[in-house]
Amino acid sequence: MEELSESSPALAFEKEAFELTVEDVYDISYVIGRDLLKISTTGEEVSDLQFKIVRVLEMFETLVNKYNLSLEELKMERDNLKSELDRIVRESSAGQEAQTLGPNKLVVDLKDPNRPRFTMQELKEVLQERNQLKAQLLVAQEELQLYKSGMLPQGEQAMVEVDLVSPSPSKPVPDTTDETKEEPNEGMTTIRKLFSFRRK
Amino acid sequence: MAKKTYDLLFKLLLIGDSGVGKTCVLFRFSDDAFNTTFISTIGIDFKIKTVELQGKKIKLQIWDTAGQERFHTITTSYYRGAMGIMLVYDITNAKSFENISKWLRNIDEHANEDVERMLLGNKCDMEDKRVVPKAKGEQIAREHGIRFFETSAKANISIEKAFLTLAEDILRKTPVKEPNSENVDISGGSGVTGWKSKCCS
Repeated sequence: MEELSESSPALAFEKEAFELTVEDVYDISYVIGRDLLKISTTGEEVSDLQFKIVRVLEMFETLVNKYNLSLEELKMERDNLKSELDRIVRESSAGQEAQTLGPNKLVVDLKDPNRPRFTMQELKEVLQERNQLKAQLLVAQEELQLYKSGMLPQGEQAMVEVDLVSPSPSKPVPDTTDETKEEPNEGMTTIRKLFSFRRK
Repeated sequence: MAKKTYDLLFKLLLIGDSGVGKTCVLFRFSDDAFNTTFISTIGIDFKIKTVELQGKKIKLQIWDTAGQERFHTITTSYYRGAMGIMLVYDITNAKSFENISKWLRNIDEHANEDVERMLLGNKCDMEDKRVVPKAKGEQIAREHGIRFFETSAKANISIEKAFLTLAEDILRKTPVKEPNSENVDISGGSGVTGWKSKCCS
Protein backbone atom coordinates (compact mmCIF):
# COMPACT_ATOMS: atom_id res chain seq x y z
CA MET A 1 0.00 0.00 0.00
CA GLU A 2 2.62 2.52 0.96
CA GLU A 3 4.57 1.81 -2.23
CA LEU A 4 1.67 3.02 -4.34
CA SER A 5 1.37 6.26 -2.42
CA GLU A 6 5.09 6.86 -2.93
CA SER A 7 3.98 7.70 -6.49
CA SER A 8 6.74 6.65 -8.91
CA PRO A 9 8.14 3.06 -9.20
CA ALA A 10 5.09 0.98 -8.23
CA LEU A 11 2.89 2.85 -10.72
CA ALA A 12 4.61 0.95 -13.54
CA PHE A 13 2.54 -2.10 -12.53
CA GLU A 14 -0.65 -0.22 -13.35
CA LYS A 15 0.28 0.43 -16.96
CA GLU A 16 -0.95 -1.32 -20.08
CA ALA A 17 1.60 -3.80 -21.45
CA PHE A 18 2.02 -1.94 -24.76
CA GLU A 19 2.52 1.37 -23.02
CA LEU A 20 5.52 0.20 -21.01
CA THR A 21 8.87 1.88 -21.52
CA VAL A 22 12.33 0.65 -20.52
CA GLU A 23 12.16 3.00 -17.51
CA ASP A 24 8.97 1.27 -16.40
CA VAL A 25 10.80 -2.05 -16.62
CA TYR A 26 13.52 -0.60 -14.37
CA ASP A 27 10.86 0.60 -11.92
CA ILE A 28 9.33 -2.88 -11.90
CA SER A 29 12.77 -4.42 -11.34
CA TYR A 30 13.40 -2.02 -8.50
CA VAL A 31 10.14 -2.88 -6.78
CA ILE A 32 10.59 -6.65 -7.24
CA GLY A 33 14.22 -6.47 -6.06
CA ARG A 34 13.22 -4.53 -2.97
CA ASP A 35 10.45 -7.05 -2.15
CA LEU A 36 12.83 -9.94 -2.74
CA LEU A 37 15.29 -8.41 -0.28
CA LYS A 38 12.66 -8.67 2.43
CA ILE A 39 12.49 -12.47 2.02
CA SER A 40 16.06 -13.21 0.84
CA THR A 41 17.28 -14.16 4.27
CA THR A 42 15.75 -17.67 3.91
CA GLY A 43 18.55 -19.16 1.76
CA GLU A 44 19.53 -21.03 -1.47
CA GLU A 45 16.16 -21.42 -3.20
CA VAL A 46 15.26 -17.78 -2.89
CA SER A 47 18.56 -16.55 -4.34
CA ASP A 48 18.18 -19.01 -7.20
CA LEU A 49 14.67 -17.65 -7.84
CA GLN A 50 16.07 -14.14 -7.55
CA PHE A 51 18.55 -14.91 -10.31
CA LYS A 52 15.79 -16.26 -12.54
CA ILE A 53 13.61 -13.20 -11.91
CA VAL A 54 16.49 -10.92 -12.88
CA ARG A 55 16.97 -12.91 -16.05
CA VAL A 56 13.25 -12.63 -16.91
CA LEU A 57 13.31 -8.91 -16.20
CA GLU A 58 16.33 -8.50 -18.49
CA MET A 59 14.47 -10.32 -21.24
CA PHE A 60 11.48 -8.11 -20.52
CA GLU A 61 13.69 -5.04 -20.78
CA THR A 62 14.98 -6.18 -24.19
CA LEU A 63 11.50 -6.92 -25.48
CA VAL A 64 10.05 -3.59 -24.32
CA ASN A 65 13.00 -1.76 -25.76
CA LYS A 66 12.75 -3.54 -29.05
CA TYR A 67 8.99 -3.03 -29.22
CA ASN A 68 9.28 0.69 -28.59
CA LEU A 69 12.00 1.10 -31.18
CA SER A 70 9.98 -0.77 -33.80
CA LEU A 71 6.94 1.30 -32.96
CA GLU A 72 8.95 4.47 -33.39
CA GLU A 73 10.32 3.28 -36.71
CA LEU A 74 6.87 2.33 -37.96
CA LYS A 75 5.49 5.72 -36.95
CA MET A 76 8.26 7.48 -38.82
CA GLU A 77 7.73 5.28 -41.84
CA ARG A 78 4.02 6.00 -41.75
CA ASP A 79 4.59 9.75 -41.58
CA ASN A 80 7.02 9.58 -44.48
CA LEU A 81 4.58 7.66 -46.62
CA LYS A 82 1.80 10.05 -45.69
CA SER A 83 3.72 13.12 -46.78
CA GLU A 84 4.85 11.33 -49.91
CA LEU A 85 1.23 10.53 -50.76
CA ASP A 86 0.18 14.14 -50.17
CA ARG A 87 2.94 15.33 -52.47
CA ILE A 88 1.92 12.96 -55.26
CA VAL A 89 -1.75 13.85 -54.99
CA ARG A 90 -0.89 17.55 -55.10
CA GLU A 91 1.37 17.16 -58.10
CA SER A 92 -1.04 15.01 -60.05
CA SER A 93 -3.95 17.40 -59.56
CA ALA A 94 -1.77 20.31 -60.69
CA GLY A 95 -0.28 18.67 -63.72
CA GLN A 96 -3.22 16.50 -64.63
CA GLU A 97 -4.24 18.27 -67.84
CA ALA A 98 -0.74 18.04 -69.18
CA GLN A 99 0.09 14.52 -68.08
CA THR A 100 -2.87 12.16 -68.01
CA LEU A 101 -4.94 14.04 -70.58
CA GLY A 102 -4.28 14.91 -74.18
CA PRO A 103 -3.62 18.49 -75.28
CA ASN A 104 -7.24 18.99 -76.40
CA LYS A 105 -8.92 17.62 -73.29
CA LEU A 106 -10.69 19.61 -70.64
CA VAL A 107 -10.94 18.79 -66.95
CA VAL A 108 -14.42 19.32 -65.53
CA ASP A 109 -14.93 19.89 -61.84
CA LEU A 110 -18.07 17.92 -61.03
CA LYS A 111 -18.69 20.05 -57.95
CA ASP A 112 -18.76 23.28 -59.95
CA PRO A 113 -22.41 24.34 -60.38
CA ASN A 114 -21.37 26.25 -63.52
CA ARG A 115 -19.60 23.35 -65.18
CA PRO A 116 -20.39 22.69 -68.82
CA ARG A 117 -23.19 20.17 -69.06
CA PHE A 118 -24.93 20.48 -72.40
CA THR A 119 -23.83 19.59 -75.87
CA MET A 120 -23.50 21.96 -78.80
CA GLN A 121 -26.40 20.18 -80.45
CA GLU A 122 -28.61 20.81 -77.42
CA LEU A 123 -27.67 24.47 -77.37
CA LYS A 124 -28.38 24.68 -81.08
CA GLU A 125 -31.84 23.25 -80.61
CA VAL A 126 -32.66 25.53 -77.69
CA LEU A 127 -31.51 28.57 -79.64
CA GLN A 128 -33.54 27.55 -82.67
CA GLU A 129 -36.61 27.13 -80.54
CA ARG A 130 -36.00 30.46 -78.81
CA ASN A 131 -35.62 32.23 -82.15
CA GLN A 132 -38.70 30.55 -83.53
CA LEU A 133 -40.78 31.63 -80.55
CA LYS A 134 -39.37 35.12 -80.82
CA ALA A 135 -40.34 35.25 -84.48
CA GLN A 136 -43.82 34.03 -83.68
CA LEU A 137 -44.16 36.66 -81.00
CA LEU A 138 -43.14 39.36 -83.47
CA VAL A 139 -45.67 38.05 -85.95
CA ALA A 140 -48.40 38.01 -83.32
CA GLN A 141 -47.51 41.53 -82.16
CA GLU A 142 -47.60 42.81 -85.69
CA GLU A 143 -50.92 41.20 -86.45
CA LEU A 144 -52.35 42.51 -83.21
CA GLN A 145 -51.15 45.99 -84.11
CA LEU A 146 -52.79 45.78 -87.50
CA TYR A 147 -55.95 44.43 -85.99
CA LYS A 148 -56.13 47.14 -83.37
CA SER A 149 -55.52 49.92 -85.84
CA GLY A 150 -58.33 48.56 -87.98
CA MET A 151 -56.05 47.95 -90.93
CA LEU A 152 -57.28 44.42 -91.26
CA PRO A 153 -60.30 44.50 -93.53
CA GLN A 154 -63.09 42.01 -92.96
CA GLY A 155 -62.43 38.66 -94.48
CA GLU A 156 -58.87 39.51 -95.43
CA GLN A 157 -56.07 38.31 -93.30
CA ALA A 158 -52.76 39.93 -92.97
CA MET A 159 -49.84 37.73 -93.63
CA VAL A 160 -46.79 38.68 -91.72
CA GLU A 161 -44.04 36.23 -91.94
CA VAL A 162 -40.62 35.74 -90.63
CA ASP A 163 -38.60 33.02 -92.15
CA LEU A 164 -36.98 31.04 -89.45
CA VAL A 165 -36.55 27.75 -91.21
CA SER A 166 -33.60 26.46 -89.31
CA PRO A 167 -30.55 26.64 -91.48
CA SER A 168 -28.88 23.37 -92.22
CA PRO A 169 -25.42 23.52 -93.70
CA SER A 170 -25.90 20.27 -95.59
CA LYS A 171 -28.98 21.53 -97.39
CA PRO A 172 -28.26 24.76 -99.26
CA VAL A 173 -31.23 27.03 -99.73
CA PRO A 174 -31.51 28.05 -103.37
CA ASP A 175 -33.50 31.25 -103.11
CA THR A 176 -34.09 32.51 -99.65
CA THR A 177 -36.38 35.33 -100.64
CA ASP A 178 -39.06 33.08 -101.99
CA GLU A 179 -39.17 30.10 -99.76
CA THR A 180 -40.48 32.09 -96.83
CA LYS A 181 -43.50 33.47 -98.56
CA GLU A 182 -44.56 30.15 -99.90
CA GLU A 183 -44.39 28.06 -96.78
CA PRO A 184 -45.64 29.80 -93.68
CA ASN A 185 -44.82 27.86 -90.56
CA GLU A 186 -47.18 26.25 -88.07
CA GLY A 187 -47.17 29.02 -85.51
CA MET A 188 -48.45 31.58 -87.90
CA THR A 189 -51.33 29.47 -89.07
CA THR A 190 -52.28 28.97 -85.47
CA ILE A 191 -52.25 32.68 -84.89
CA ARG A 192 -54.24 33.26 -88.04
CA LYS A 193 -56.78 30.67 -87.01
CA LEU A 194 -57.11 32.37 -83.70
CA PHE A 195 -57.78 35.68 -85.36
CA SER A 196 -60.30 34.40 -87.86
CA PHE A 197 -62.08 32.61 -85.09
CA ARG A 198 -62.43 35.79 -83.09
CA ARG A 199 -63.66 37.71 -86.06
CA LYS A 200 -66.67 35.45 -86.58
CA MET B 1 -52.93 35.85 -102.54
CA ALA B 2 -53.05 37.43 -99.15
CA LYS B 3 -51.59 40.86 -98.63
CA LYS B 4 -48.18 41.18 -97.01
CA THR B 5 -46.99 43.93 -94.77
CA TYR B 6 -43.74 44.07 -96.69
CA ASP B 7 -42.52 43.63 -100.23
CA LEU B 8 -39.21 41.93 -99.67
CA LEU B 9 -37.44 40.04 -96.96
CA PHE B 10 -33.67 40.42 -96.69
CA LYS B 11 -31.64 38.27 -94.40
CA LEU B 12 -28.50 39.87 -93.02
CA LEU B 13 -25.78 38.48 -90.79
CA LEU B 14 -23.36 40.16 -88.41
CA ILE B 15 -20.00 38.50 -87.84
CA GLY B 16 -16.65 39.48 -86.29
CA ASP B 17 -14.55 38.92 -83.19
CA SER B 18 -16.10 38.78 -79.74
CA GLY B 19 -16.58 42.19 -78.18
CA VAL B 20 -16.30 44.34 -81.30
CA GLY B 21 -19.88 45.52 -80.82
CA LYS B 22 -21.98 43.50 -83.25
CA THR B 23 -24.92 43.30 -80.86
CA CYS B 24 -24.63 47.01 -80.06
CA VAL B 25 -24.53 47.91 -83.75
CA LEU B 26 -27.69 45.90 -84.27
CA PHE B 27 -29.37 47.24 -81.14
CA ARG B 28 -28.66 50.80 -82.28
CA PHE B 29 -30.19 50.09 -85.66
CA SER B 30 -33.24 48.16 -84.47
CA ASP B 31 -34.08 49.98 -81.24
CA ASP B 32 -32.03 53.18 -81.55
CA ALA B 33 -30.51 52.52 -78.15
CA PHE B 34 -27.15 51.70 -76.64
CA ASN B 35 -26.12 49.68 -73.61
CA THR B 36 -22.62 49.80 -72.14
CA THR B 37 -22.81 46.52 -70.24
CA PHE B 38 -21.13 43.76 -72.18
CA ILE B 39 -23.22 40.63 -72.45
CA SER B 40 -21.67 38.04 -74.68
CA THR B 41 -24.14 36.75 -77.26
CA ILE B 42 -25.00 33.10 -76.78
CA GLY B 43 -24.78 31.40 -80.14
CA ILE B 44 -27.16 33.30 -82.34
CA ASP B 45 -29.91 35.88 -82.01
CA PHE B 46 -31.87 38.03 -84.40
CA LYS B 47 -33.80 41.26 -84.75
CA ILE B 48 -36.30 42.48 -87.25
CA LYS B 49 -36.51 45.94 -88.74
CA THR B 50 -38.61 47.05 -91.65
CA VAL B 51 -37.22 49.83 -93.80
CA GLU B 52 -38.51 51.54 -96.91
CA LEU B 53 -36.22 51.74 -99.90
CA GLN B 54 -37.21 53.00 -103.33
CA GLY B 55 -40.85 52.69 -102.52
CA LYS B 56 -40.51 49.14 -101.29
CA LYS B 57 -41.10 47.94 -97.79
CA ILE B 58 -38.17 45.73 -96.95
CA LYS B 59 -38.19 43.57 -93.91
CA LEU B 60 -34.67 43.07 -92.63
CA GLN B 61 -34.13 39.98 -90.59
CA ILE B 62 -30.75 40.54 -89.03
CA TRP B 63 -28.91 37.66 -87.45
CA ASP B 64 -26.48 38.51 -84.69
CA THR B 65 -23.80 35.89 -84.13
CA ALA B 66 -21.58 35.14 -81.15
CA GLY B 67 -17.99 36.06 -81.93
CA GLN B 68 -16.55 33.51 -79.55
CA GLU B 69 -14.84 30.56 -81.16
CA ARG B 70 -16.81 28.05 -79.08
CA PHE B 71 -20.01 28.95 -80.95
CA HIS B 72 -18.36 28.60 -84.34
CA THR B 73 -20.28 25.50 -85.45
CA ILE B 74 -23.60 27.10 -84.55
CA THR B 75 -22.90 30.45 -86.16
CA THR B 76 -21.46 29.17 -89.42
CA SER B 77 -24.63 27.19 -90.10
CA TYR B 78 -26.41 30.54 -90.43
CA TYR B 79 -24.11 31.92 -93.14
CA ARG B 80 -25.85 30.01 -95.92
CA GLY B 81 -29.17 31.81 -95.72
CA ALA B 82 -27.67 35.29 -95.52
CA MET B 83 -28.02 37.71 -98.41
CA GLY B 84 -25.80 40.29 -96.81
CA ILE B 85 -23.01 39.93 -94.27
CA MET B 86 -21.56 42.68 -92.12
CA LEU B 87 -18.07 41.96 -90.89
CA VAL B 88 -17.36 44.07 -87.85
CA TYR B 89 -14.02 44.89 -86.22
CA ASP B 90 -13.10 47.22 -83.40
CA ILE B 91 -10.81 50.14 -84.27
CA THR B 92 -9.38 49.99 -80.73
CA ASN B 93 -8.54 46.29 -81.03
CA ALA B 94 -5.75 45.33 -83.43
CA LYS B 95 -6.46 41.62 -83.12
CA SER B 96 -10.03 42.05 -84.30
CA PHE B 97 -8.67 43.79 -87.39
CA GLU B 98 -6.07 41.09 -88.05
CA ASN B 99 -8.82 38.49 -87.89
CA ILE B 100 -10.71 40.05 -90.81
CA SER B 101 -9.05 37.68 -93.26
CA LYS B 102 -10.14 34.75 -91.10
CA TRP B 103 -13.74 35.97 -91.15
CA LEU B 104 -13.60 36.57 -94.90
CA ARG B 105 -12.44 32.98 -95.34
CA ASN B 106 -15.40 31.85 -93.25
CA ILE B 107 -17.69 33.74 -95.62
CA ASP B 108 -16.07 32.08 -98.62
CA GLU B 109 -16.47 28.68 -97.04
CA HIS B 110 -19.96 28.90 -95.63
CA ALA B 111 -21.96 31.66 -97.32
CA ASN B 112 -23.63 31.91 -100.70
CA GLU B 113 -21.28 32.97 -103.46
CA ASP B 114 -23.24 36.09 -104.34
CA VAL B 115 -23.64 37.33 -100.76
CA GLU B 116 -23.19 41.08 -100.30
CA ARG B 117 -20.34 41.82 -97.92
CA MET B 118 -19.56 44.94 -95.94
CA LEU B 119 -16.79 45.86 -93.53
CA LEU B 120 -17.46 47.96 -90.42
CA GLY B 121 -14.81 49.49 -88.16
CA ASN B 122 -16.82 50.03 -85.01
CA LYS B 123 -16.20 52.16 -81.89
CA CYS B 124 -14.96 55.11 -83.95
CA ASP B 125 -16.05 57.42 -81.15
CA MET B 126 -13.04 56.23 -79.15
CA GLU B 127 -10.45 58.19 -81.12
CA ASP B 128 -8.02 58.28 -78.18
CA LYS B 129 -7.87 54.49 -78.08
CA ARG B 130 -7.70 53.94 -81.82
CA VAL B 131 -5.04 51.46 -82.99
CA VAL B 132 -6.38 50.74 -86.48
CA PRO B 133 -6.09 53.76 -88.81
CA LYS B 134 -9.10 54.41 -90.97
CA ALA B 135 -6.89 54.10 -94.07
CA LYS B 136 -6.06 50.49 -93.20
CA GLY B 137 -9.73 49.62 -93.04
CA GLU B 138 -10.33 51.34 -96.36
CA GLN B 139 -7.39 49.54 -97.90
CA ILE B 140 -8.44 46.03 -96.90
CA ALA B 141 -12.00 46.75 -98.02
CA ARG B 142 -10.72 47.94 -101.40
CA GLU B 143 -8.56 44.83 -101.76
CA HIS B 144 -11.60 42.64 -101.33
CA GLY B 145 -13.92 44.86 -103.30
CA ILE B 146 -16.33 45.50 -100.46
CA ARG B 147 -17.80 48.58 -98.87
CA PHE B 148 -16.42 50.05 -95.70
CA PHE B 149 -17.78 52.28 -92.97
CA GLU B 150 -16.40 53.39 -89.68
CA THR B 151 -19.26 53.29 -87.21
CA SER B 152 -20.10 53.96 -83.62
CA ALA B 153 -23.07 52.26 -82.04
CA LYS B 154 -22.53 54.38 -78.95
CA ALA B 155 -22.42 57.75 -80.72
CA ASN B 156 -24.82 56.59 -83.44
CA ILE B 157 -22.42 57.21 -86.30
CA SER B 158 -23.10 55.67 -89.72
CA ILE B 159 -25.08 52.76 -88.29
CA GLU B 160 -28.28 53.34 -90.20
CA LYS B 161 -26.34 54.35 -93.30
CA ALA B 162 -24.43 51.06 -93.22
CA PHE B 163 -27.55 48.91 -92.94
CA LEU B 164 -29.46 50.88 -95.58
CA THR B 165 -26.51 50.75 -97.96
CA LEU B 166 -26.23 47.02 -97.58
CA ALA B 167 -29.97 46.63 -98.11
CA GLU B 168 -29.77 48.84 -101.22
CA ASP B 169 -26.94 46.75 -102.60
CA ILE B 170 -29.01 43.62 -102.15
CA LEU B 171 -32.08 45.31 -103.59
CA ARG B 172 -30.11 46.34 -106.66
CA LYS B 173 -29.42 42.78 -107.64
CA THR B 174 -32.78 41.40 -106.58
CA PRO B 175 -34.84 40.53 -109.66
CA VAL B 176 -38.18 42.28 -109.70
CA LYS B 177 -40.80 39.65 -109.04
CA GLU B 178 -44.01 41.67 -109.24
CA PRO B 179 -44.56 43.29 -112.62
CA ASN B 180 -47.62 45.16 -111.36
CA SER B 181 -45.53 46.85 -108.71
CA GLU B 182 -45.70 50.59 -109.16
CA ASN B 183 -42.01 51.31 -108.93
CA VAL B 184 -39.58 49.26 -110.95
CA ASP B 185 -36.72 51.68 -111.07
CA ILE B 186 -34.11 50.27 -108.74
CA SER B 187 -31.00 51.56 -110.36
CA GLY B 188 -31.92 55.14 -109.52
CA GLY B 189 -29.09 56.98 -107.76
CA SER B 190 -29.87 56.85 -104.10
CA GLY B 191 -26.55 58.31 -103.08
CA VAL B 192 -24.82 55.16 -102.03
CA THR B 193 -21.36 56.20 -101.04
CA GLY B 194 -19.50 53.38 -99.49
CA TRP B 195 -15.80 54.12 -99.36
CA LYS B 196 -16.28 57.84 -99.36
CA SER B 197 -18.41 57.83 -96.23
CA LYS B 198 -17.17 59.91 -93.37
CA CYS B 199 -17.04 58.95 -89.76
CA CYS B 200 -16.09 60.85 -86.68
CA SER B 201 -14.50 63.66 -88.57
